[in-house]
Amino acid sequence: MKVSRNWLQRFFNEELPSAAALAEALTFHAFEIESVEALSKGSPRAVRGESSDNGNDWILDVKVTPNRGHDCLSHHGIAKEFSAILQLPMKSDPLREEVSLKPRYSDISLHIENANLCPRFVAAYIASIKVGPSPEWLRKHLESIGQKSVNNVVDATNFVMFDLGQPLHAFDAGKLHKKDNVYSLIIRPAKRGETVTGLDDKTYALNETMLAIVDGVASIVASIAGIKGGKPTGIDETTTDIILEGANWNGANIRKTSQALKLRTDASSRFEQVISPELAPYGVRACADLICEIAGGEVVGFVDEYPNKQQQTSISVDAGRINAILGSKLSDAEVGGALTRLDLPFTKSGDAFVIEPPFERLDLTVPEDIAEEVGRITGYDKIPPVELPPMSTKPEVNPNFYAAERAREEYVAKGYSEVYTSIFADDGERVIANKVDGVRPYLRTNLDIGLGIALERNVRNKDLLGLKQVKLFEIGTVWKDNKETIVFNSYCETPTNKDSVVSGERSGDKPLTDYISEILKQYDELPLSETKRYVPFSKYPFIVRDIALWVSAGTKEDDVLEIIRTHAGELLVLSELFDTFKKGERTSLAFRLVFQSFDRTLTDFDANERMASISSALKAKGFEIR
Amino acid sequence: MRGHIHPISSLIREANKIFFDTGFTFVEGPLVESEWYNFDALNVPKDHPARDMQDTFFIKDEKEMVLRTHTSPVQVRYMESQMKKGILPPYRIIVPGKVFRNEATDITHEAEFFQLEGLVVSDDTTLGHMKWTINHFLKKVFRDIEVETRYRPSFFPFVEPGLEVDMQLRGAKAPEKLRDRWIEMMGAGMVHPNVLKSAGVDSEKYRGFAFGMGLDRLAILRWGIDDIRLMHSADLRFINQF
Repeated sequence: MKVSRNWLQRFFNEELPSAAALAEALTFHAFEIESVEALSKGSPRAVRGESSDNGNDWILDVKVTPNRGHDCLSHHGIAKEFSAILQLPMKSDPLREEVSLKPRYSDISLHIENANLCPRFVAAYIASIKVGPSPEWLRKHLESIGQKSVNNVVDATNFVMFDLGQPLHAFDAGKLHKKDNVYSLIIRPAKRGETVTGLDDKTYALNETMLAIVDGVASIVASIAGIKGGKPTGIDETTTDIILEGANWNGANIRKTSQALKLRTDASSRFEQVISPELAPYGVRACADLICEIAGGEVVGFVDEYPNKQQQTSISVDAGRINAILGSKLSDAEVGGALTRLDLPFTKSGDAFVIEPPFERLDLTVPEDIAEEVGRITGYDKIPPVELPPMSTKPEVNPNFYAAERAREEYVAKGYSEVYTSIFADDGERVIANKVDGVRPYLRTNLDIGLGIALERNVRNKDLLGLKQVKLFEIGTVWKDNKETIVFNSYCETPTNKDSVVSGERSGDKPLTDYISEILKQYDELPLSETKRYVPFSKYPFIVRDIALWVSAGTKEDDVLEIIRTHAGELLVLSELFDTFKKGERTSLAFRLVFQSFDRTLTDFDANERMASISSALKAKGFEIR
Repeated sequence: MRGHIHPISSLIREANKIFFDTGFTFVEGPLVESEWYNFDALNVPKDHPARDMQDTFFIKDEKEMVLRTHTSPVQVRYMESQMKKGILPPYRIIVPGKVFRNEATDITHEAEFFQLEGLVVSDDTTLGHMKWTINHFLKKVFRDIEVETRYRPSFFPFVEPGLEVDMQLRGAKAPEKLRDRWIEMMGAGMVHPNVLKSAGVDSEKYRGFAFGMGLDRLAILRWGIDDIRLMHSADLRFINQF
């Protein structure tokens, strides 16, 4: 979520530290920061944010974790975090004040069909407003976090959502129908076939799994509950009276509807995280007041249906338990201090802190949650690492892994290399229902096919690999005869004269247990990879050339190789002696040279040129090329 | 001429050695897993976004069966089986193994990859033990390269508190590209009491920590590998370097 430093500043008297310091505070005590951006004259510019003077504003993109979606998808929530982390007092906390929904408005008849889907519905009737542009300060705040200013009424609803976290929606009261001077709003599942054109001008087809706010007099869907308002009842320049809605919706239902309609809005993304129904009156009151301030008008009254009251949770935990979880040595005073910083009210009952979290902190339910709160605020860096004590019993040896390691060692010693191939196949007994790429949806029944493809591919690179024969094995899972088992399979190429045919000797899938004669109490000491760095290989084709020459007795092959390498240049990627024989006094040495480029496909010309240069260098040293 | 073992196998061998010496047993579990073990038992409720279709491979015509999305279900399977045998904690296990995410593959994403899970449960395990264990493993696995770690708050439904572990490689022996940069390494935290309860372990008496990291990622950092897809390429131009 994008958070503006200037916006946050509204919650504090004291000047906030630099954006960089704010980012650091959140990173180590609350949330990951995706980016820090300076806003200067309206144009975003990514900079590191050391100084607060560089731009008019700073924007932090905060990755609010799912457990804090209840309370931290708002500037208020983030401001509270800063207040706790940096120990900065807030001017006042709007959510800790009394909120009044008076007077009551009786000309809306409200009917909630299923309280589980709509735990609360609050609305305000505001009359005689004048729709127009928003004041500068409001436009600036919204634009700073990437929101477009629409008009004063819509902007007010957005501002309060990003400020306090309560999504709001304004209906043009003049476009809703009345019967006997009374509006009727029914919150019910949509009927299959009902449609609504949203404020985004798109028409959405609804069904009975989706919740709608219905104009009960006209039996028309006025809005997709918690997700999108309808165009026909939207605010325009002719609007004078509005019904301002601030409701609470079932998170799971909102998420499903939003997915089904492929419509994710700032409102739906908040509701789907589940927010407290206690927040609704604060949102509606704050927004109604703001509209009256910037659009004129007056609040005629409020309605509030709250069938499912939120219960106050209570968590009891003592400092001993917190320390036992964290490995800390916090005193009662330190724990109490952390709770106070976090605005988590508590009473003491003996050693126990009895905490009654504020309504918006729906994430706090068990003592471990409190340990986390205390741990992150006091800082995880303060917790000393402590070595694990010795175990009284030795760890067990895993038979499958033991056998797998045996098999690896046996086959590596015989020149085989280990591969992992995909478990997905074109055929099998079990199939994936929803594979994103649609290809090879089956779970493999054997390792043969994957290993066959792997062998064929590697045979093409045999010269490059310096291998006479490609030998592969795999240890992997297969799904066959209704069982999931781990099997071993090997495939050894039998070189043929025909270039195009790859054939070889297969072991077929063998149970891993074939490799266990007895399982010891300890794993064998097996070699670990001593490789320091991986060296990227060229994706371009290579060219192989052989060169043979007569040398006199006493000539070292390494000396010859040295001459070859020096004159071959950078394109030579592999060079080795592959044949040698004696004829009288002289010895014939045959070398295989592999040329390859990192950035292009080599031509015969390239190879010929290199070979010519090698030949003349060898001739100059007095060797006779065969 | 000796052949080569796959770098992932090499890392698992090395990890197992480091952890065996610290009292951890190597444990495995099925790749086709029930939604119960993969999600519910790990405190991931039915309506949690992580259960959304796009992340998880579901098995067709098999009710609530998935390709496991992490190695964590083995935490519950192991504790449950120990309890059934009447063996109470302390437990120390590692779970190296393949996991799956239903997403398109590219240079940094694979639909199948390897994870290394760790779980420690006893009546006196703390976050301090977790920090030591993770630090110890990373120091051992990066051998002569200096390793620094830092711990940040994060969220995973199956731990509470939940943390993210960053690592920095320092000194002359650290690869230049990575030197002095903080790199996200793994998620970790204290086992959520609901997970212990799922496995039938008394969550009032016992506590634990768990961590999970990508082995492909660890291999990439350890050897400077530039494309995660090489891991499943079966390409000896890659494998024979290890």
